[in-house]
Amino acid sequence: MRKFQHLSPILFFIFIIPLLSGCWDQTSIEERAYVVAIGLDKSKSGNENQIQVTYLLGNPEFSKKEAMTNEPPMEMITFDTNDVTVGKNKANTVIAKEISFNLLSVILVSEEFAKDKNFIRWMYDTTKEREIKRKTPVIVTKEETTKFFKQNRPKLESRIHKYYDYILKYGSEAGMIPNSESNIGKYYRTTQADASLYLAIYGTSEKSDYSRSNEEDSFMAGEMKVGEETNKVQFMGSAVFKEGKMIGKLTGEETRATVLLNDTLEMGAILATYKDPFDERYRITAKLLKKEKTDVKMDLKNPLPKINVSIPIYLDILTQHSMVDYANDSQKRERLKQSIEEEISDTLDALIKKTQEEFKGEPFGWATLARKQFLTIKEFENYDWMKTYPEIDVNIEVKVNIGNFGNQSDVPNLEEMRD
Amino acid sequence: MNSMDSTKGKIGLKELLALILLDVGTKVADDTPHTFYEDFGNAAWIGILLIGLITLIPILLLTKLIKLYKDKNLIDIILHLFGKYIGFVLLFILWIMQVFANISNSAIYTDIIGTMYFNRTPVVVIYVVLVAVAAYGAKKGVEYIGSSAWVILFWVILSLLIILVVTFVQGEFTYIFPILGTGGWEIVKGSYNHSSLLTDFLYFGFIASNVKNSTVFNKGIWIGFSIVILSFVLALIGYVMLFDYYGVRMFDYPYHETIRYIEIGFLTNVELLFFPFWLVSSFIRFSFYLYLSALLFGALFKIKHFEYVVPALAALTMLVGLMPESAVFSMNKLKIIFLNVIAPVFLLLPILLWITAKLKGDFKK
Repeated sequence: MRKFQHLSPILFFIFIIPLLSGCWDQTSIEERAYVVAIGLDKSKSGNENQIQVTYLLGNPEFSKKEAMTNEPPMEMITFDTNDVTVGKNKANTVIAKEISFNLLSVILVSEEFAKDKNFIRWMYDTTKEREIKRKTPVIVTKEETTKFFKQNRPKLESRIHKYYDYILKYGSEAGMIPNSESNIGKYYRTTQADASLYLAIYGTSEKSDYSRSNEEDSFMAGEMKVGEETNKVQFMGSAVFKEGKMIGKLTGEETRATVLLNDTLEMGAILATYKDPFDERYRITAKLLKKEKTDVKMDLKNPLPKINVSIPIYLDILTQHSMVDYANDSQKRERLKQSIEEEISDTLDALIKKTQEEFKGEPFGWATLARKQFLTIKEFENYDWMKTYPEIDVNIEVKVNIGNFGNQSDVPNLEEMRD
Repeated sequence: MNSMDSTKGKIGLKELLALILLDVGTKVADDTPHTFYEDFGNAAWIGILLIGLITLIPILLLTKLIKLYKDKNLIDIILHLFGKYIGFVLLFILWIMQVFANISNSAIYTDIIGTMYFNRTPVVVIYVVLVAVAAYGAKKGVEYIGSSAWVILFWVILSLLIILVVTFVQGEFTYIFPILGTGGWEIVKGSYNHSSLLTDFLYFGFIASNVKNSTVFNKGIWIGFSIVILSFVLALIGYVMLFDYYGVRMFDYPYHETIRYIEIGFLTNVELLFFPFWLVSSFIRFSFYLYLSALLFGALFKIKHFEYVVPALAALTMLVGLMPESAVFSMNKLKIIFLNVIAPVFLLLPILLWITAKLKGDFKK
């Protein structure tokens, strides 16, 4: 018996070792093909139950700095299939490795498919697929996603997964796209709660004509003219989803205004231009910051429900081409403040009008704030926020605080100089 | 064998507390929150507070009984108060309850591991590993389980705290409104139905004689009770803050969705950082469950070395647990019915015991 006492731990460890390999789920990195982006389109075969799936496979060897390969940075395959998951196997008819979604950065959907009433069915497939994370951003493309992928050749960041990470990060910091809100998890949440609108990132590789107006950013992706040799793809504005289906678009400017109103959306320092009250020809560039939360007061029990919104904004004036001396003249500053307040609240009023009349729903996160006014879920659901919202009287008040005037606050007096 | 003799098979406050926290506290990380959200909506955290209130009386009476009959455990107390025959029937019911809890929970945990982490590994293999490790622990006895629980307790709590902090930072506080969730009366009704969540506290009575003394036992129970309730409240609020009630009620296992969703700084796939801690605490939990079933079985059929029953019970657990076709649905349904059925047993038994003790005049001695 004594002899065996020493033997038994050894036997135990021998038994334990095979378990460490992860049983059947053991995989080696070299045998996997990493899908960086998935594109979803309507199938061209005319079969309603099929979709066209595009996998963009990143080349992991390409990231290695020390040993550059001659292999291309990415590979793309497109095929018709029943859903994203079954496509994993179908892809193996051409791809030599096991398909993995572990490093998936984005899901792209064509505008045409997003507007389909059955779109939601395919979106919910991703809840079943373990490897797709709820944090994955959703991008709606104006054209077919295959075309988008083909056109998307970033010049200075050829590692495609990094490209998506970076462009979405900095685009959303500028407030042009609603990044933090636009992942799949939020899509499910908004659709299930059925009280507000969901915003996805809007992007395109197609150029479209646009008559330039005075405002700086009131265009959609594809409308901005970018000269010289660069990537054709632009991300700007947002696609609006109601009940899981795309119903409209917001321009870059409107997306910014939404970010301004919605406290749940991350907002960085936004650079924007405003008209100069002392000289209509010029515009002032300002850095816009929100340091405090938007104050939303709701009066819903009233037969004429009301929402009063007050937004505190901090502005740093960066340039003023009119060369008006704002820094030393408090009256002029007051005038400038008023003018900017009016301009911002006009934009916001127009946006609210658009949401009430065109979309009949709001993406401002007010539905969750409204829940505070109710005691039970039933009461809130009976109130039917989505139906009530278009009739609510919304008052917006913008409070601008002007901070500093750039590194050098003084400007020379032009008339004296030219004299 | 020597070390066992020196402690005389007794566990201290640390081990008892660790056992309580890992046995009851880990329920926040399985399918329990899912059943809560179904009945309470986003007010699940109020529900758990009410459950705490409801179960306060039975647990209080239990601690009184343990204090009264020093050096006796709940088995001795039941047999002493209700006599041989009724006592046997009662213990048999309690044993069946324990075995069923073990079967349904191990089936669900196997499903969690299988669907969320090890997709391609056959269910049987996961089940065998889970039950075999648990049986190994259970066979070693309660001191062994207790001290291993204490060793990992710090790490489990640390991982849970990190998750909670991240969840509260990344989540949206307004999601917990409307504050009353499904409504006042619904919450009260639900709390009664779900009160069996804390049945484990009754079962801790069975190891009362393995604890150093009754004061330590009672202290452990109360500290454990408070921490369990608190962690449940925080976790239930945390899940709602991250996914909203509308999202979270669709999840089978909110904890695992949470660790897949959150990001810590530049780290994105953090679930594999937390999964091992959850796994080890599950092993401890099932070791303890198996130990309890064996202990009760031994008491019922007068088996002195009841540890030798463990492998047989483990095999039974596995065989029955593998029978249903899709474990999540059949087991979840069965478990909910089962939990509703045992709620009155859990709530009434301590009261009945206490009244009998009072009538027998044991408190006067």
